[in-house]
Amino acid sequence: MKHRTIIEPFRIKSVEPIGLSTEAERVQQLKEAHYNPFLLRSSDVIIDLMTDSGTGAMSAHQWAGVMEGDEAYAGSRSWERMEQTIQSLTGMKHVLPTHQGRAAERIIYGHLGGAGKVFISNTLFDTTRANIEFSGATGIDIPIAEGQDPATDYPFKGNMDTGQLNLLLKEHQGKVGAVVLTVTNNSGGGQPVSMANAKEVAAVCKRHGVLFLLDCCRIAENSWFVKHREEGMDKLSYRDIARQMFELADGAVMSAKKDALVNMGGFLALRDPALAEACTNLLIITEGFTTYGGLSGRDMEAIATGLQEVFDPHYLNYRIRSTTFLGEKLKEMGVPLMWPIGGHAVYIDAKALYPHIPPHEYPGQALVCELYRLGGIRTVEIGSVMFGTYAEDGSLRPARMELVRLAIPRRVYTQSHIEYVAETFEEIMRTKEQVRGYKIVKEPRFLRHFTAHFEAL
Amino acid sequence: MAQKRDSWAEPYKIKMVEPLTMTTREQREKALVEAGYNTFLLPSELVYIDLLTDSGTSAMSDRQWAGMMLGDEAYAGSRNFYHLEKAIQKHYGYKYIVPTHQGRGAENILSQIMIKDGQFVPGNMYFTTTRLHQELAGGKFVDIIVDEAHDPESLFPFKGNVDLDKLQKLIDDHGADKIAYVSIATTVNMAGGQPISMANLKALRELTSKDGIRIIHDMTRVAENAFMIQQNEEGYGNKTVAEIVKEICSLTDGATMSAKKDALVNIGGFMATNDWDVFEEARNMVVVYEGLHTYGGMAGRDMEAMAIGIEESVHDDHIRARVGQVFYLGQRLLDMGMPIVKPVGTHGVFLDAKAFLPHLPQTAFPAQTLAAELYLDSGVRAMERGIVSAGRNKETGDHYYPKLELVRLTIPRRVYTQAHMDVIAESVQRVYEHRDNITGLKMVYEPKYLRFFQARFEKLPK
Repeated sequence: MKHRTIIEPFRIKSVEPIGLSTEAERVQQLKEAHYNPFLLRSSDVIIDLMTDSGTGAMSAHQWAGVMEGDEAYAGSRSWERMEQTIQSLTGMKHVLPTHQGRAAERIIYGHLGGAGKVFISNTLFDTTRANIEFSGATGIDIPIAEGQDPATDYPFKGNMDTGQLNLLLKEHQGKVGAVVLTVTNNSGGGQPVSMANAKEVAAVCKRHGVLFLLDCCRIAENSWFVKHREEGMDKLSYRDIARQMFELADGAVMSAKKDALVNMGGFLALRDPALAEACTNLLIITEGFTTYGGLSGRDMEAIATGLQEVFDPHYLNYRIRSTTFLGEKLKEMGVPLMWPIGGHAVYIDAKALYPHIPPHEYPGQALVCELYRLGGIRTVEIGSVMFGTYAEDGSLRPARMELVRLAIPRRVYTQSHIEYVAETFEEIMRTKEQVRGYKIVKEPRFLRHFTAHFEAL
Repeated sequence: MAQKRDSWAEPYKIKMVEPLTMTTREQREKALVEAGYNTFLLPSELVYIDLLTDSGTSAMSDRQWAGMMLGDEAYAGSRNFYHLEKAIQKHYGYKYIVPTHQGRGAENILSQIMIKDGQFVPGNMYFTTTRLHQELAGGKFVDIIVDEAHDPESLFPFKGNVDLDKLQKLIDDHGADKIAYVSIATTVNMAGGQPISMANLKALRELTSKDGIRIIHDMTRVAENAFMIQQNEEGYGNKTVAEIVKEICSLTDGATMSAKKDALVNIGGFMATNDWDVFEEARNMVVVYEGLHTYGGMAGRDMEAMAIGIEESVHDDHIRARVGQVFYLGQRLLDMGMPIVKPVGTHGVFLDAKAFLPHLPQTAFPAQTLAAELYLDSGVRAMERGIVSAGRNKETGDHYYPKLELVRLTIPRRVYTQAHMDVIAESVQRVYEHRDNITGLKMVYEPKYLRFFQARFEKLPK
């Protein structure tokens, strides 16, 4: 018999209790957190969909690796395992371990960047953009047009607009630090990038002699979409698809906290020995020695194992299907959302949900607060709070979209948790007209969404 | 204070073991050539006793491992962070805490916030990563440690002390506003793990208060320093290590800590400050470099392990056994007549390579040579702390020529036994016996920053 139901290809070995709270308690907690979910205490949260980064449940095999970690400062055998795993996956010789993805980004973009430099991407993620701007360089996002419309059904909305890429590379000749393809495209809704698009991008980069980097933190999930949606790819294994994509790139940056199924870690992989040497110098200064880069031996063990587990077809099927399950439920209820559903998260279109709240009153932030108040569900705004900038007259330049991300941690929540989330949305839909916007009362210079304070209007 | 006794027996028993590889001399000879005679480049699997560093190499307790299982891996507001924050406030007394993935992450942020281009950063001897971050932030390190610190034969018990006259002169010559802060390490690693006295720290506090100069505490081995104060400084014999640690911290304005040393963990660090403005800026900056301010690049479980480790680290029984083991090795080497830095430091024994290999000029890298020879003899891995670690002068391009040319035998916490210590001492003695046949090294690859990590060498012909 062929089953329709996708079950988890694992059972639970260790659990973590969840504290339940009342709505009145949550109203108070929100107030104390200045209406910023990043400032909530984790122990108050019922269902934490803030991020899929570092929040996954490790396997028994990974935990065994944790116990076997070699904590030697130099030449740890856990490092050797991690290095070999990444070399064989990426085909890149030089691997630099970092404590997490943003450190790898800071090293490579710090080195390639600087005032006057330009980085071009399908969409840069928040920390990536921050690292690039911190170096004095500029980031330009060129997703395809389909990727900018939440409602269009298109199989590869994460793709980069290669026509525009060509023009930009001409325009900024000699000033392009790198072209960065983010797979899957997180800020654009967790949408996949096709192999054909990756090939085109690689070809354009090659023609212009520009460095092509993959931001590969969800490359296994991207491979699932390529296999099932792109012609001629269904015969390949998920790992082979990933390998093929790596082959196109000159380097890769990974936050291992996503598809390497760990709680901490990242790396930078490169082909060019001279570039690797320059980056290694920077690695030692702020991260750690070349054979641990700021990671404990046990975390390197867990990464090596996680990078193997993630390509298991049963795991990937479960992963993508369970994310889609939530998305489909919400769609049936009429919740406006980014369609089709991406790999790691469901993105709600807050602009369409709350048409009465203008961008400068942050409709996404309003939904985030509502979800917490009604269900203790923690989510994150990906809209004008995260990506908005100010014009010279002080007015807000809003982001392209006002999204709220429901990121699903890997192997953590069950179907009943997901149904609880869906049920909360029933109330969201019922009360949407009464919801008001927010204003920012305090914000830092960079990455304001992490620490900004809000007030309800 | 707990009773005095000579034996330092461990206040714990072993709960989990890690097998070691035994190698042959031929294997080690080959490994050394492949590693370019740099012990940093040896694979850990070919090392028998690993004395490269006491950083991140400790054995955690069963309580810490239990804490690992209680990790709350939420991206924001993890309960482990609040536990860690409380532990730091309770045991160290600093008000505001920013976690980082390890010590150098904290140094990076603190240096960028507190140093203005062209300012001086006086300190009780440099440390490799600390000085580099100070220089990258536009500062210039000035050594204001007492002269005794540079003399491996001096028996002065507090070689980590600041020479207040040197500091006063710096202030008189350039003005207090040219001083970013005074950087104080407990204990002083590059001087051989030497402590600073409370009296000296108090006097320093008084001097700096006059000009409103802040003191930043590099507190990675503060409990070990506190133990030495308890043992050797008048008026502190009846105080607990925990009390002394807190008093040390109270005389400073902020701190960076690599928790991989005293705090008994394999990864982690933090920056602490009593200054709200510094904290605000650090909290914004940590997001760019490390991670959100409630995890700073650490897994929840590692914050939990650190919170528990901090508490364990200030227990008198723990620290007496810890330092007792190091002293045991030091005393054995002294009894054998080996040239070592005196008095013995708290986290390791430092071999005096200049006295060990007097026939080698400093440009033949005597300490690097000695570390390689020790590995060749027994598979014991040590670390060079001499001319290679000192690096080059930015302006002249020449090597810095440190007075001390040392090989550090660093003892990981709670990892090795007395029998391991005996093997180490015997190996040092064997190398000493045939020292006249040892030739030096030449550097064939030199990286731009912190060259000691990755430099490669070749053996000079006889």
